[in-house]
Amino acid sequence: MTPALWIIPALPLAGFLLCLFLGSRSGKSFVSAVGVGSVALATVAAWTRLIPYFSESAAPAVERIAPWISAGNFSVDLSLRLDPLSALMVSFVTFVGFLIHVYSIGYMRHDETDAGYARFFAYMNLFLFAMLTLVLANNFLLMFVGWEGVGLCSYLLIGYYYEKEFAADAGKKAFVVNRIGDFGFLLGMFGVFSLFGTLDFDGVFTRAAADPTRFAPGLTVVCLLLFVGAMGKSAQIPLHVWLPDAMAGPTPVSALIHAATMVTAGVYVVTRCNVLFRLAPEAMFLVSVVGGVTAIFAAIIAIAQTDIKRVLAYSTVSQLGYMFLACGVGAYVAGMFHVLTHAFFKACLFLGSGAVIHALGGEQDVRRMGGLAPRLPVTYRTFLVATLALSGIPPLAGFFSKDAILAAAFAAHRPILFAIGLFTAGLTAFYMFRLVSLTFYGEFRGTPEESKHLHEAPPTMVLPLVVLAFLSAVGGFVGLPEVFGERANRIAAFLAPVIPPVFLPGRETETHHLPVSSEWLLIGVSVAVALAGLLLAWKWYAKENGRPAAKLAASFPALYALVADKFRVDELYDVLFVRPFVWLARMLWKVIDVLLIDGVLNAGAFLVELTGDALRFLQTGNVRNYALTFLLGIVALVLIVFGGM
Amino acid sequence: MIAGGIPLGDVLLASGALFVIGLVGALLRRNAISIFLSIELMMNAANLTVLGYAASLQNLEGQVVVFFVIAIAAAEAAVGLAIFIALFRHTETIDVNRINLLKW
Amino acid sequence: MAALTATRLVFDAAATLAIVFASVMVIHRHPVKSVLALVVSFFALSIAYVLLSAPLIAAVQVIVYAGAILVLFLFVLMLLNVPEEARHGSGRPIHRILSAAAILVFAVFLLSLLRSHGATASPAVGASAGGGADVAAAARLLFSEHLLSFEALSVLLLAALVGAFALARPETQR
Repeated sequence: MTPALWIIPALPLAGFLLCLFLGSRSGKSFVSAVGVGSVALATVAAWTRLIPYFSESAAPAVERIAPWISAGNFSVDLSLRLDPLSALMVSFVTFVGFLIHVYSIGYMRHDETDAGYARFFAYMNLFLFAMLTLVLANNFLLMFVGWEGVGLCSYLLIGYYYEKEFAADAGKKAFVVNRIGDFGFLLGMFGVFSLFGTLDFDGVFTRAAADPTRFAPGLTVVCLLLFVGAMGKSAQIPLHVWLPDAMAGPTPVSALIHAATMVTAGVYVVTRCNVLFRLAPEAMFLVSVVGGVTAIFAAIIAIAQTDIKRVLAYSTVSQLGYMFLACGVGAYVAGMFHVLTHAFFKACLFLGSGAVIHALGGEQDVRRMGGLAPRLPVTYRTFLVATLALSGIPPLAGFFSKDAILAAAFAAHRPILFAIGLFTAGLTAFYMFRLVSLTFYGEFRGTPEESKHLHEAPPTMVLPLVVLAFLSAVGGFVGLPEVFGERANRIAAFLAPVIPPVFLPGRETETHHLPVSSEWLLIGVSVAVALAGLLLAWKWYAKENGRPAAKLAASFPALYALVADKFRVDELYDVLFVRPFVWLARMLWKVIDVLLIDGVLNAGAFLVELTGDALRFLQTGNVRNYALTFLLGIVALVLIVFGGM
Repeated sequence: MIAGGIPLGDVLLASGALFVIGLVGALLRRNAISIFLSIELMMNAANLTVLGYAASLQNLEGQVVVFFVIAIAAAEAAVGLAIFIALFRHTETIDVNRINLLKW
Repeated sequence: MAALTATRLVFDAAATLAIVFASVMVIHRHPVKSVLALVVSFFALSIAYVLLSAPLIAAVQVIVYAGAILVLFLFVLMLLNVPEEARHGSGRPIHRILSAAAILVFAVFLLSLLRSHGATASPAVGASAGGGADVAAAARLLFSEHLLSFEALSVLLLAALVGAFALARPETQR
């Protein structure tokens, strides 16, 4: 018996409600059981549905839960969809989500009150509900519900330590920047409806495919708008500024939301709408450019960061750039493949950093770490595996997905993008291994207090690390490049139904194929670049203790400061947008609200008061005056009424 | 009874004159009770008007109306004079110029 | 102008009498004399009522209005020992001017109303055939159609009685 689709998001929703209303009074064990249990059950339910789906590759299963809106010719249903793309997303969202929930038990246990613990798991469950809704939705509107929901949960969880002003501000920043993206997404949805008359995925894509040239002009705008939404959610330039600050939230949050799942929603949307994008080449071009620029920009910043989570944050931004680069050149499969592998190793890295921070009692600055490898063996080994995966060292997962992207860029005749991607791969290896060296090698640079406190993480935290490291190692084998055989790329075959053959007239020969020799050459080059970055970092930081880096930084102090300061984008936004807006708000307040509106009202009251002051003199208390006034009134009335006669 | 009729105009003229006289008295006297008397006069003028029309239109309802008006005037006089008595006890005067407790 | 009948003459005489004594009432400064003048005026009016075929009302006027209400006024005047009024009119000239103006306008209005109305076709009033028949007819109307109002009136009188008593009662010292 296969469970209905709606059960999958419903289980975390139930967990949310239970933790929210009963959690603070029921103790941490209850919350752990419910909060993690709901996700575990959802994972089981999902995989029960997915396993037969993976092996048989059935047709998309659409489940209509209930009618939702029906107004005139606009009608939207609550309906869920299981097709290769959503199946892929559900598979790792549930499983990685489950692992991170297990990890959170150990991580959040000690520092939090019962109420805070319950709040955490409630929000995490709510997040999974929203994310699963987003991924399983069968139309734009329901997807948008999930879209907004994950944004809300991101805000709630980033600002989890709400008593710290920085955390609260970071939450607000994330929400506001996301909102800007959402505005674009909303406009894009309006555009979709006005072009196609429906918001159902099936309806939109079949109509688009049936008559490509008819929709092409408006479609570019629509795709760009949808991409704006994706930029906000997936932290692409210029809407990337919220992600590094989002590290103020607890580490499991960073792992789940800002590495593995929410931030990939943008890539998911673009892939889901690949039919539309492929009919709008200008939009696709922009997507690839934005992705490429973001990738290298973030990688450069990551080199100079000293907070362990910030390095990983910028790394996430950079890797997301890779995914959009892939989508932009038409390699949607490669993009989704990287989403999958990235979920594994980035979650592993974040959780590992969490273990380090936990062991050091809260320290996050790598300059005060070092020599932790012998003290935290499991953490170190899993972190190393994930680092190698991220750097693209074969045969780990990241190599296959990154290679697929680079190959696609090359095959699509985009040399600049390819060069950017290659160089960034080197940078990635470099800054990741810099991180590893500073954290785990050399001498310990912390306080003696911390040194005494150092201990490996508890099993609830270590076990997910191991599982994720394992997946980072072997996860790549679902997508072997074609050099290894015709049917080697299983993920491509799996996702093929989602990427139908739809082309603009005159562009039928879109698919690019590389000759086998080029493929092997590319593989060799990318591995070499990765190894070069890795070795350079090892040499500079592990062997020579960072001195060459320090010397380089000292030679170009202004440039170094700029990079370390993340190119001062936040400061730029502050001057360009924040200050004028604050000025405007203040003006509206002080002038229009206080002076004008209040003034008008107060003037009205003043007028009434004035009139009353004048009229009170009629109250003489003298009855005869009243009688006279009476008579005068009657006379006036008589004159008016009978004056005509 | 004597045959013949009274023109309505005569009746109205009489009642109008009575009313205006009563009005003059109500406005220009200082004595509260005198003012009240003038008001009674005005009511009588109204009664006369109603009776004039009743007779003119051969309708007896007018007499019923006047009957009620007189009865009510009696009640009103009783209460009004009681008020004056109470007021006089308080203020030792019935000069309306001096009774101005309702002044702002 | 209608015919100068005897009824009309008597009516005019009674009306003139009423008006004259009403003026006396308004002018005289001594309150008791005012009241007495008004009594005479009301008597004259009751004569006029008889001539208007309203003998019941005429009787009620004499018994209730002249005989009870004005007597009550006299009682109160004597109880309060109201003095002669010092000076006519209000203290303030503007008051007198406004009053005079208003009264003038009002009078003119009444007059013009009379002109347009009184001289027109309204049939002249005729004295009735028999006084007794009129009284019976009016009484019959009172006790049949307007019975409810009649009864309500008695309640009203009761209320007025109680109210007057409550108001005029001397304050008890506690």
